[in-house]
Amino acid sequence: MTDKITRLLILLLALAVSACSQPKDPVFHDQFFAFGTLIDITLYGVEPGIAETISSQIEADFNALHTEWHAWQPGPILSLNEKLAQHRPATVKPGIIHLLAEANRLSLASKGLFNPVIGNLIELWGFHDNALPIGTLPDSAAIENLVAENPAVDDITIESDRVVTRNAVVAYDLGGFAKGLAIDRAIERLRDSGIEHAIINAGGDLRAIGQRGERPWRIGIRHPREPGILASIEIAGDDSVFTSGDYERFFEVDGKRYHHIIDPRSGYPASETTSVTVIHSDAATADAAATALFVAGPDHWQIAAKNMGIRFVMLIDSQGIIHMNPAMQSRIQLDPELDATVILGDPLQ
Amino acid sequence: MTRADHILITLVAIALPFLYWQLWTADQQANYLLIHSNNNPPRTELLTPQRTIQVAGPLGSSIIEISDGRTRFISSPCTTKACLHTGWLSRVGEFAACLPNRVSLTLAGRHPDFDTINF
Repeated sequence: MTDKITRLLILLLALAVSACSQPKDPVFHDQFFAFGTLIDITLYGVEPGIAETISSQIEADFNALHTEWHAWQPGPILSLNEKLAQHRPATVKPGIIHLLAEANRLSLASKGLFNPVIGNLIELWGFHDNALPIGTLPDSAAIENLVAENPAVDDITIESDRVVTRNAVVAYDLGGFAKGLAIDRAIERLRDSGIEHAIINAGGDLRAIGQRGERPWRIGIRHPREPGILASIEIAGDDSVFTSGDYERFFEVDGKRYHHIIDPRSGYPASETTSVTVIHSDAATADAAATALFVAGPDHWQIAAKNMGIRFVMLIDSQGIIHMNPAMQSRIQLDPELDATVILGDPLQ
Repeated sequence: MTRADHILITLVAIALPFLYWQLWTADQQANYLLIHSNNNPPRTELLTPQRTIQVAGPLGSSIIEISDGRTRFISSPCTTKACLHTGWLSRVGEFAACLPNRVSLTLAGRHPDFDTINF
């Protein structure tokens, strides 16, 4: 009898010791530099070998799209812009036509606040280059001239594979939209591979699908002016979170900040907003909307949001005041230690 | 059952709580720093003791400080210094990057405060 108990005890101890091995972490995480930014991939419940393969494919996709969509390096967009500047019709392949048509559609929805054809203004300010200008402002007369020419997507006609313009000052720069579309493509690739729980984060803007096991994905929103987190949101399903901020790309002259989000109406960086965060199901729309609402500013963001079908918005104005709509307030958790005024706007629907 | 069996069972019984603590509790709570540089495999660093680490990138060296379970960039050969402005990373899931020098820092652990960061 004693022997039986002893054997049972040994068996239980052996089982207990073997159970001490670490459980496999169901989360795969990878990071790489591509598309001119840092890409951060999180996958849940995917076998590591498959996760590594799909992550490599996504990296290759981002690199290919970066070359294909870059407006300032040799490629189809630069070639298109050169022809448009000469009033010549350009023939482009279907993938690029789709890209341009989507950019034009979002620009029209934003009433021109997101304007993908102000490439000449972007170049004038020096934001087309990886190296930012230091200590120099563009010539104000040159800015005024470009603004007076009013380059807009309704100057452009797309017929099958041909693009023509009646305004030679239009020049595509897809910086306010391409990252979102590239994220959407990455999510498509994941879903085609049967992956349903993932986050693709490109330089701080992201789309999350599914959830992390039994709980939603948790997203931290970084404070635009201070170290640390301003707020957090949870996603279970499919949502993109995009923030446009004046801290992303900027330079300073005489202590004044000049950032990369140019108001197409003035030709100068939009000055009343510090950051705008939007949530929307597809990343391309969220990307364009974050830019448009930033330009719209604290007095007009609600109209721009309605025009673009955005249901969740948080805007921080240049005074640090937080503006949001009630639906956003119900989704977002502001840091309890945050000391800021919050203005709740009317519902967007 | 021999005397050796008794000794073995006693030792295992004593070791069990320690193994549980070592293999489950401690590791699950342990956080660490992942440093990615120029798309090389990430380098893992413990968050103690206090020290600085030099990481080579295409533009030169980025210098990273580790202190009290936190980390931050303290110098980098970029123009905007956006990486420095990010400040301390203290919560699991936070990350910071110097894009021009292709260096990124991620605070990792088994129980993240955030799964990713929007900015």
